[in-house]
Amino acid sequence: MEPLHLRSICKSYPSQPQPLQVLAGVSLTIQPGELFFLLGPSGCGKTTLLRCLAGLDFPTSGGIFFGERDVTNLAPHLRETAMVFQSYALWPHLTVAENIAFGLVERKIPAAERTERVEQALRSVRLEGLGARAIDQLSGGQQQRVALARALVVRPRCLLLDEPLSNLDAQLRIEMRREIRRIVKENGLTAVYVTHDQEEALAMADRMAILEKGVVAQVGTPEEIYRRPTSASVARFIGETNLVPAELLAAGGESIQVKTAAGIFTGQGVGAPLAAAAGTPVTLSVRPEAWQPAADGALNSVTGQVVERVYLGARAQLTLASPLGALSVVILNPPTGLTTGQTLTVAVAATDVVVLPLA
Amino acid sequence: MHRRTAWILCATIGLLLAVGFIYPAANVLKEAFVDPHDGSFTFGFLFAVLRDPLYREGLTNALLLGVASTFVAVLLALPLALLNHRFSFPGRGFLSLALLVPMILPPFVGAVGIKCILGTEGSLNAFLISLGCMDHLHPYDWMAEHRLLGIVVMNALHLYPILYLNIAAALAQVNPALEQAAANLGCPPGRRFFRVTLPLILPGLFAGGALVFIWAFTELGVPLVFDFPRVAPVQILDGIKNLDRNPLPYALTTIVLLVAGGVFLASKLAFGLSQSGAAPRPSQRAEPIALPGWAGWACSALFAGVTALACLPHLGVLLLSVSGYWHQSILPAEFTAAHWQEALGSALVVPSIQNSLAYAGLATVLTLVVGTAAAWVITRSDLRIRHLLDTLTMLPLAVPGLVLALGYLSLSQEGKPFAILVGAGGSPFLLLGVAYAIRRLPYVTRAACAGLQQCDPALEMAARSMGASVWSTWRRITLPLLAAHLAAGGVLAFAFSMLEVSDSLILAQRAEHFPVTKATFALMSALGDGPQLAAALGVWSMAFLSASLIGAALLSGRRSGLGGN
Repeated sequence: MEPLHLRSICKSYPSQPQPLQVLAGVSLTIQPGELFFLLGPSGCGKTTLLRCLAGLDFPTSGGIFFGERDVTNLAPHLRETAMVFQSYALWPHLTVAENIAFGLVERKIPAAERTERVEQALRSVRLEGLGARAIDQLSGGQQQRVALARALVVRPRCLLLDEPLSNLDAQLRIEMRREIRRIVKENGLTAVYVTHDQEEALAMADRMAILEKGVVAQVGTPEEIYRRPTSASVARFIGETNLVPAELLAAGGESIQVKTAAGIFTGQGVGAPLAAAAGTPVTLSVRPEAWQPAADGALNSVTGQVVERVYLGARAQLTLASPLGALSVVILNPPTGLTTGQTLTVAVAATDVVVLPLA
Repeated sequence: MHRRTAWILCATIGLLLAVGFIYPAANVLKEAFVDPHDGSFTFGFLFAVLRDPLYREGLTNALLLGVASTFVAVLLALPLALLNHRFSFPGRGFLSLALLVPMILPPFVGAVGIKCILGTEGSLNAFLISLGCMDHLHPYDWMAEHRLLGIVVMNALHLYPILYLNIAAALAQVNPALEQAAANLGCPPGRRFFRVTLPLILPGLFAGGALVFIWAFTELGVPLVFDFPRVAPVQILDGIKNLDRNPLPYALTTIVLLVAGGVFLASKLAFGLSQSGAAPRPSQRAEPIALPGWAGWACSALFAGVTALACLPHLGVLLLSVSGYWHQSILPAEFTAAHWQEALGSALVVPSIQNSLAYAGLATVLTLVVGTAAAWVITRSDLRIRHLLDTLTMLPLAVPGLVLALGYLSLSQEGKPFAILVGAGGSPFLLLGVAYAIRRLPYVTRAACAGLQQCDPALEMAARSMGASVWSTWRRITLPLLAAHLAAGGVLAFAFSMLEVSDSLILAQRAEHFPVTKATFALMSALGDGPQLAAALGVWSMAFLSASLIGAALLSGRRSGLGGN
């Protein structure tokens, strides 16, 4: 197994008045055995990037390498990738077993081995005994598994998944997340998975790339991306966050001091602000669940009035009218009697305040 | 790669159409603009035609026939298609299939049959005389008195199935939720039809209407049989029979082509741009409402009545083919099966059937290959030129068979480029095969496009991603999914090639090369029992073509509109 390299991939489509730039220089390295996610809002170019990997689209410039081998302009059937389509794309004129065996026939695998591998694939997606069924006799979840089995059975160099769970109901989606991760890991596959569902990405990914307007905004593990976003837009896209305007005071080592409308705050920087001069305007990102009720005058604290309260049992979602603006705050195990109109002081640990370049 | 394959196919098809379609058509038009004496370019002949009172009358009559036939065909087809779409009634499945029966007979053969019914010595007069409503010494000549009307009725009864199929296909594409939304907002059924349904099916109605108009406008056989020479297509035929290189018939042809092409392009431009088939098929289908008791039976009676009326010519042909003696009586005085056997034994008939099978077979293979390739480029590639290819493959519908036949005729003379298509002994096998194929190309291309559009491209991409090459994907995935559509389109192309009139009359010159239609035509004017033999041949053709069309209908599940966009 070898890593997969994407080097400065650009893709544009002819359109009037100027070409439509979908990918504007994407560079990534995906390690062998990794379950890698491409995540981003609609139209960010993630599906185009996946199709370039599959060879169903070709980059305008840039290169795609499987190890050292340049596959940029290689026809799709010579790439040894296998794709699971959003619509599943199961062939209605073939049975379940014939669908799964398709790629093996193309690879001229002898009939006996073919039967064996199809059986094995059916077992691995827990569809034993359904090989003779017609496609339209399967439920949505079963069809999804057949699509997965069809891609797995050829032992692809790289498994490509294009929003494979978006057509399933919520319950099944959660089940299939575990299944796909289990199957990918058990088979030691390298997989690239496209989704716009951030929860799916956080739950399943080894690493992920956030794409924004055709460029990579950030690459990292789910935890890195959630806790250490490098831009306000990434912070906003993954989970909910409070973005607070501030001004840089002094940077020393790990911690940074900033001036806000609620006084001095201490936070941690990622990248650029650390090097910036005092007085530079910055943005703070604080997750709603990072706030804790605190005493007046505590470090990194702000006092405000509760203007909205949504009680959810295990937690309460509050909106606080504060000098920092309307703050979203989540209180775990909320005390009784916490109602709108009350004044509340909350504080946040310095490690939970991320200092970002101005949004 | 994908794009390169698309370019190669596109260029090849474009070249084939340029050589086999545009060149011969342009060659005919050229005659209308070149002075035969000094070779100079002139518009003079066009004006000469428009000034000539005879030609002007011919054009007016042709236009009148076109418009009136289309109008009558719409009056027949629209209510029937709506009834069949909305309601269920006794025998609905069978009756809506039977409605397509009139297509199985070339209208000029039907005209022979109708003469047996409506002629001065035909069944109707015999019936009226027997009732005492008519003096047997002064029988009424229905056809002479109302020849234009007769031609209109014959055309309409032959052509309404084209409209019916187009309207039915358009109705099937209408999402029932759109009509339900109108009902929900308080729109009663009648107004709902005019405000919602009609605007939505108008493109299909126009596409079918344009086809019917062009067909009726350029129809040659029916006016010939009705002995009505003052109509443009007959004038053209008469004109080119005199081989004195008179440019006026060609100028008349040019005007006919301009009108037909104009109508076709207008129907395309008015509605065609928005409906290249990209609209998804509605996921839900409105269940037809069961009509209660008498209403259901009335509906069935209407369907059966129209079919019966449209089958009068067929009935006439059938009776004529089994009549020993038929003169001034409602039914033939004697019945005999001899003509059927004689027909099969005639020196003209059996070879003509073999010829037609060969010509139509070749044409079907050619259209299937070219039409499928064109459909693939149109639906699966991103070449901008594919829109041009789309229009180009549809254009043969707009060009009267007569024009193309004339082009092929003049280009296949000794020393001309198409002379290589004329085989040993003057065999028109290749010539007719190609000529039939060009004019049937739209049917197959449409059918293949419809099939490809209903087949999710992801199914092909999945095969590619599983390691299948372009060819392997085509063979293992696309072709099996497309087979029903291709078979339906192929059967139609075959059936219509068997029924072809213009090319057959003009390009097959020797008796041993006659196709069925020309043999029928030759028999009709033969002395003795020629008409009976022609009728017998007509019956054999009908039996054969009904089998083909029923096959096509079953294969396509009656989904495809004929030539519908």
